[in-house]
Amino acid sequence: MTSFNIITKDMKISKMLAEFPQTFDVLIKASPHFKKLENKILRKALAGRVTVAQAASIAGVDLYSVLFELNKSINNLIEPKQNLSEKMNNDNLVKQKPEMLNNISVDKIHQLDVRPVIESGKDPFQDIMAAVKELKSDGILLIINSFEPIPLYSVLGKQGFEHWTEIENNMFRIYFYKDEKIKQDVNSSKQKLSSKEVEYKNVIELDVRELLPPEPMIKILETLSQVDENTVLLVHHHREPMMLYPKLEERGYEAVSNKIEENYFKVVITKKRNM
Amino acid sequence: MVQSESIVSAYAPPFKIISKYFIAAMASFVILNFLLLINYSSISGHHFQPIILSINHIATLGWITMIIFGAMFQLVPVVLETKLFSEKLAEIQFWIYLPGVIGLVYCFWYFETGLYMNLSAILLNLAMFIFAFNIIMTFTKVKKWNITGLYLAAAIFYLIVTAIAGLLLTINLGSPYIKIDHLQYLNLHSHVAFIGWVSMVVMGVSFKLIPMFTLSHGYALTYSKWAFWLINIGLLGINTIFHYEDTTFLYYILTPMITLGILLSLVQVYIILKNRIRNKLDTGLKFSSYAFLMLGLTTVLGTFIAFINYQNILNLTLIYGYMIIFGYLSMLVVGQMYKIIPFLVWYHKYSSKVGLEPVPMLKDMFNEKFAYIEFYLMLTAVFGSLYSLTFRSEIGLLISFSLMLISSIIFLFNMITIFRK
Repeated sequence: MTSFNIITKDMKISKMLAEFPQTFDVLIKASPHFKKLENKILRKALAGRVTVAQAASIAGVDLYSVLFELNKSINNLIEPKQNLSEKMNNDNLVKQKPEMLNNISVDKIHQLDVRPVIESGKDPFQDIMAAVKELKSDGILLIINSFEPIPLYSVLGKQGFEHWTEIENNMFRIYFYKDEKIKQDVNSSKQKLSSKEVEYKNVIELDVRELLPPEPMIKILETLSQVDENTVLLVHHHREPMMLYPKLEERGYEAVSNKIEENYFKVVITKKRNM
Repeated sequence: MVQSESIVSAYAPPFKIISKYFIAAMASFVILNFLLLINYSSISGHHFQPIILSINHIATLGWITMIIFGAMFQLVPVVLETKLFSEKLAEIQFWIYLPGVIGLVYCFWYFETGLYMNLSAILLNLAMFIFAFNIIMTFTKVKKWNITGLYLAAAIFYLIVTAIAGLLLTINLGSPYIKIDHLQYLNLHSHVAFIGWVSMVVMGVSFKLIPMFTLSHGYALTYSKWAFWLINIGLLGINTIFHYEDTTFLYYILTPMITLGILLSLVQVYIILKNRIRNKLDTGLKFSSYAFLMLGLTTVLGTFIAFINYQNILNLTLIYGYMIIFGYLSMLVVGQMYKIIPFLVWYHKYSSKVGLEPVPMLKDMFNEKFAYIEFYLMLTAVFGSLYSLTFRSEIGLLISFSLMLISSIIFLFNMITIFRK
């Protein structure tokens, strides 16, 4: 299973940004705290281990509203672009409950209330996908949630599902059903997005905070031989290594430093790529 | 691709230019000690004597300021995370400054006031203006200011004040026009030089370098900020009231402000040293620690002098000056050079080879034992000279100045060894 076009709270920020660059603007809008992530290399090493949920709590923003906005942003891109009037028409159309939902037998509906799962702090995504798998071709999946799971529309949309949403006292009832008439191949749009980004597979960590100059530089330069295109060298440093940069440059490496606190910098060193 | 602003591409300190300044400065140190030794019997009495003025300017211009120029070209980019505005100007400055120093020292020695002395002073001013311009232009590119930057900016201002005051004084020697007492003006010139220019650089750089050398962190910089404002308000105040009459009361307020400021900056240095990870102080840091101790003592003495009619006490200004130039500044510079030069040379010659071929370690760059001997020689020489000046012992001066000369030669030898590594 590769990635779906849904952002869950357990998704790594770095992965999210790599796959959906447009989510970066959403993050910054949510909190200027995320400005640091502007740099792609930093993103990978520093945000590599942070999930959306952790990031939201670090930045002090509401997780679910951020998730909602994030998913909305990627949805806009994945759904075929419509101009506003078309959208209005569409909305009007959908206002009417699809006929097939009205005269459907109850035994064909598979109901899944994901609210308890979300309240327990988990992500219901896997449960939903499992339910979808078990669904018969003419079956209907009814998901009950406390918010509108917009990303799910596109994820299941790719698998050929239509949706219909009812709102009742802050409770969302979403029906997913297959409509034979509409078949979409959305897979192609996804591939274009992720091909440019290269994932770093290995991270070498080096702590030079207890070393006197020029030992940090020596340690770092000596470690470079192990740093290839797929490796990130993450150095824990007590200051920004200004004198190191030209030496890295000479050897075809580049570095980005991020100040974590006074006397603590994370320096991310990677091999330069031929773009 | 989005690039972080912290990437400095192809940034490298101009080693060739910096080493020129350093070598000229170290040579001045030896020459100055040699001249002191051969004139040991003349070093007494009033400070306004040609030989003393001359040697004093070898010390302040040839030795201390020269080394500060070199060090600042090296440190400003590192401390403020930007590139030096112009390496070419740094080079040009050197070739204007050097004849200026030699000219002024020569003119003082033979007391040739007038055209040549004025010309030398003009050359010095020109060089210092070029320096100030170069550094200020570098400042304009700074994105993150810190306390060290603030100190350095103030220092540049006082350097220019000192230079202009110096020029006015030299012109006044040839054709008197200053209405205020020449010696009083000289007093101001030297205090702006030592407190405003030199000490501002020393303090600012120390707050950055000492933590770097001792891996000290986890302290607040509160005292350094208080010190900065106290010293600056005090110094600017005294420069202002100096031109007016009946300002004794203000003088009594402003002078203790400067004293307090310097002492607070020493407290800051102490706090930094106390928070260090590496417990052992190597020779370079030992020199520096004693230098700071000396600065404290000198400050107390200076304050004392400010409130008494010091001209009646023989040799007092000489003792005061000696404490500043040798006890405080030379000890400090020598100590810092033992830290900076090995690193600089190592960086220049070996850093590109690390991991590719064997390179010497920093401690292999010079013989620490020699440095250790130099430290005790210098310390003995400082206290011996102070003792001999106080109790007017000529033989004491002869011995002390000899020791100082020997220690300066060891220093030069050690530094040349490093440069040749």
